Amino acid sequence: MRTILVLVRKDFANFFANKAAVSLTFIVPFVLIWLFGAVFGVNRKDSGPTGIPLAVVNASTNPGAEKLIQALRAEKAFKVITQYKADDKTERPLREADLAALMRANEFRFAVVIPEDLFSEKQLGLHLKIYTNPRNEIETQLVNGILQKTIFSNVPQLLGQSLVARGRGVVGAENMARFNQATADNIARSFGGDSAQILKNIESGDFTGGLPAGGAGAGGDSLLSQVIRIESIQVAGQDVKSPAATRIVGGWAMQFLLFALSAAATGLFYERDQGIFHRIMAGPVSRAQIMWSKFTFGVCIGMLQLVTLFLAGRILYGIDVEHHIGFLLLICAFAAAACTAFGMLLAAVSPSPEAASGLATFSILLMSAIGGAWFPVTLMPEFIQQVSKFTLVYWAMEGFSQVLWANVTFLELLPTLGILSGMTALVMAIAVWRFNRGKIFG
Amino acid sequence: MLTLENVTKRYGTLTALDGVSLRIEAGEFFGLLGPNGAGKSTLMSLVAGLRAPDAGRLTLNGQPLSAANSAARAALGLVPQHIALYPKLSAEQNLRIFGQLYGLGGALLRDRINEGLEAMQLADRRRDRVETFSGGMQRRLNIIASLLHRPKLLLCDEPTVGVDPQSRNAIFEFLEKLNREGLTVIYSTHYMEEATRLCSRIGIIDHGKIPALGTLDELLLKLPFEEEIRFPRTEATTALVAKLGACGAVEPGDEHYRFRPQPGYKLSSFYQLTESLGLPARHFTSQRPTLEALFLHLTGRNLRE
Ligand SMILES: Nc1ncnc2c1ncn2[C@@H]1O[C@H](COP(=O)(O)OP(=O)(O)OP(=O)(O)O)[C@@H](O)[C@H]1O
Ligand SMILES: [Mg+2]
Repeated sequence: MRTILVLVRKDFANFFANKAAVSLTFIVPFVLIWLFGAVFGVNRKDSGPTGIPLAVVNASTNPGAEKLIQALRAEKAFKVITQYKADDKTERPLREADLAALMRANEFRFAVVIPEDLFSEKQLGLHLKIYTNPRNEIETQLVNGILQKTIFSNVPQLLGQSLVARGRGVVGAENMARFNQATADNIARSFGGDSAQILKNIESGDFTGGLPAGGAGAGGDSLLSQVIRIESIQVAGQDVKSPAATRIVGGWAMQFLLFALSAAATGLFYERDQGIFHRIMAGPVSRAQIMWSKFTFGVCIGMLQLVTLFLAGRILYGIDVEHHIGFLLLICAFAAAACTAFGMLLAAVSPSPEAASGLATFSILLMSAIGGAWFPVTLMPEFIQQVSKFTLVYWAMEGFSQVLWANVTFLELLPTLGILSGMTALVMAIAVWRFNRGKIFG
Repeated sequence: MLTLENVTKRYGTLTALDGVSLRIEAGEFFGLLGPNGAGKSTLMSLVAGLRAPDAGRLTLNGQPLSAANSAARAALGLVPQHIALYPKLSAEQNLRIFGQLYGLGGALLRDRINEGLEAMQLADRRRDRVETFSGGMQRRLNIIASLLHRPKLLLCDEPTVGVDPQSRNAIFEFLEKLNREGLTVIYSTHYMEEATRLCSRIGIIDHGKIPALGTLDELLLKLPFEEEIRFPRTEATTALVAKLGACGAVEPGDEHYRFRPQPGYKLSSFYQLTESLGLPARHFTSQRPTLEALFLHLTGRNLRE
C-alpha cells in the first residue's frame, strides 16, 4: 500500500513536471469548453448570431413587404442592407440585378428578394427569393431558420393575404367578395364590432384586428399562434440553466481525459525502456503494485480533471455543481476509472509507444464522436446509436447528464455506475492479462 | 555469498546464458568482462530476480533468489545499464522516490541522499532536473539511487558507459571505498582496464559461457606465453629472429617484431642470445600479456569488435 502511494506520488510529480501533459489535460479542454460555449451561445439569454449582413430587394408595392422588411430589421441576427452605394458615393435602392456581383465580392452572403408577385393567386404562400452564397452549411441553415422564423412569426398578415389571394384564385373574385362580406357580417353579429372594418381587415388578410377586446383575438395574439400552440415542458433538468453546457463540458473533458490517461499509460513503455522497472522490481516492488499505482493515479488525475472542468462549467455557464457534488464525484470517479482502464489496455496491446499513441488518437476520436461527446447521440443514425452504447464515453456522458441535469436518485444512477464499472473490470482484466504475457515487464 | 549452479537462460531459441556456475564470496569485487551480447545483463537480471532461469539454481546466502523472495532481494542493489531515472524530476526527488520504495524515510533517508550526492559531487545540482544533467552526472546519480538502502550486494551493469575519465575516477573511488567497507560488488564491463583496476576476481564471459575465471594473475597464467618481447625491425635484429624460431613464435609487425616464448623458455637465455649478438638491451621491451590477449586467445575474437 505504501509502495503504491509512493508510486502514485511519483506519477503526480512527473505529471505536473510535464507542461504538455498538464495543458493537454486541463488547459486545452478548458479553452475548448469556453470556445464552444461561446459559439453555441450556451446559457446566454440573447443567444444566437448577430449582425449577419442580409441584403433585401423590395420590388413589391404591397404594404406587407415593407412590414416584412421592418421585421427583418428588428431581427438582431441580421444587418439589413437595402441601399446600393455606387462608386461615386451616390445611393439608390438595391436591385436584384446587383446581387450576384455584390455577393461574389462578399459584401454579403445572403439576400432576400421580395418580387412584384409577392402573392400569387395560383399558389398558397409567399413568393420570396432567397439568394445564398453558402460559406458554410451551418451558417446557411441558421440564416434560413431565422428568416423563416421572422416571416412566420412577425408577419402573419402576409400569410393571411396569401390565403385571401389564393382563395380569390380558386373561387373567383366575385364569390370571394361575397364570402368575405358574409363572414364579416357573421362575425359582427356574433362577437360585436363594425362589419365594414372587419371586412376591410379580412380583405387585407389581417385576421387579428377588428374584433372587440376580450374576443377571440384578445391579447393581440396572432391568429396563427392561436392555431398552432406549442408548449414545451421540460421533464428533467428544470433547474439547470443549460443542458448543452453539461454536454460541452463533459464531452471535452472526457475526450481529453482519455488522451491524458492513454499518454500516462504509454509512460509504462518509457519506464520500461529506461530500465526503471528493472530498478524498482529488483527492489521490493511487484508488477501488481506498478499496475495498481498506475490505475490509482489515473483515477485520481481523472477525478481532478473532471471536477476542475465542471467547476469551470459552473463559472462559465452556471452548471449547478454545488448541489450535486456528491453524485458528481461518484460519477467522475467511475468515468475516470473506465478511462484509465482504457488507457492501460491501449498500452497493453500496443507493441510500442508510437503504436499506442496512434491507436489512442484513432480510437479516442471515434469513441468521442459516436459516444456523444461532440453532439447528442440522438442525432445519429439508429445503427450508430446502438453502437455508441458500447463506448464508455456514452455512459459517462449519460451519467453526467443524469447527475447534473436530471436530478436522479442514487438508485437511478446505479445502473450507469454499474455499466461503467463493468466496463472498467472487463477492460482492466484484458489489460492485465496482456501485460503479463506481453513485453512491458520483460 | 552468491552462488549460481548450472544456470541457463533462453530467449526463444537464443541461449543467453549457457550452464553458468559461479560462486562469489562476501567482500569480493567481482568483474564480468565480455563484449556486447555476451550475457552480462542477462546474468545481472537473473541475480536481481527480474527473470527466472530456465534451468539451474541461484542462491544468496543460502536462500533461493527469485521474484517471490523479496526479503532476499532487499539485500541487493541494481545499477541498471540504462539511466533509470525520471528526467523531469530533480536529482533529489528521484532519490527520495527510490529510497521510499525501499521503505526509507525521514532523517535517515535525507542523510543518505546527502551522503550519496556529496560522494558523487552532485550536491550543488540536487534541485536541478535530471534531464539537465550531463551523461556522466546522470550515471553517477544512477549509482547513488541503487545504494540508498545500503545493499550487501551491488550489481553494477556497465555503469561507466559514456563517462569522461574524471567522472569515471570518481565512480571508481566511490565503489572501491564501499567495497573496502564491506560491500560485495559484481561489476560488468567490456573495458579491460576497468576490470584490471577494480576487480579482485574476474570472470570472462562470452556467448553465455564463462570460459575463464580467477584473479588477474591466475587468468594471465592461462595464456600459453607469459611475456611478449617487442624489438625494432632492423638489419641487426634479423639475425636474432632467425635464431629465435626454435624458442617460440615471432610475429613481424610494421616496425616491430613480437616474440612470444614457448612455455618454459627462460628469459635469461634470451638475453644471453642478444648479448652474444651485440644487441643493446634498450632495444627490447617486455610486456605483460593483457586480458585483451587472453580474451583473443580464449575466443579467437577481440573484446571490442
Ligand atoms: N529481452 C530479450 N529478448 C530477447 N533476446 C534478448 C533479450 N535480452 C537480451 N537478449 C539477447 O541475449 C543475449 C545476451 O544479451 P545481454 O543483454 O545479456 O548481453 P550483454 O552482455 O549485457 O550485452 P551489452 O554489453 O550489449 O549490454 C544477446 O544476444 C541479446 O540479443
Ligand atoms: Mg548489457
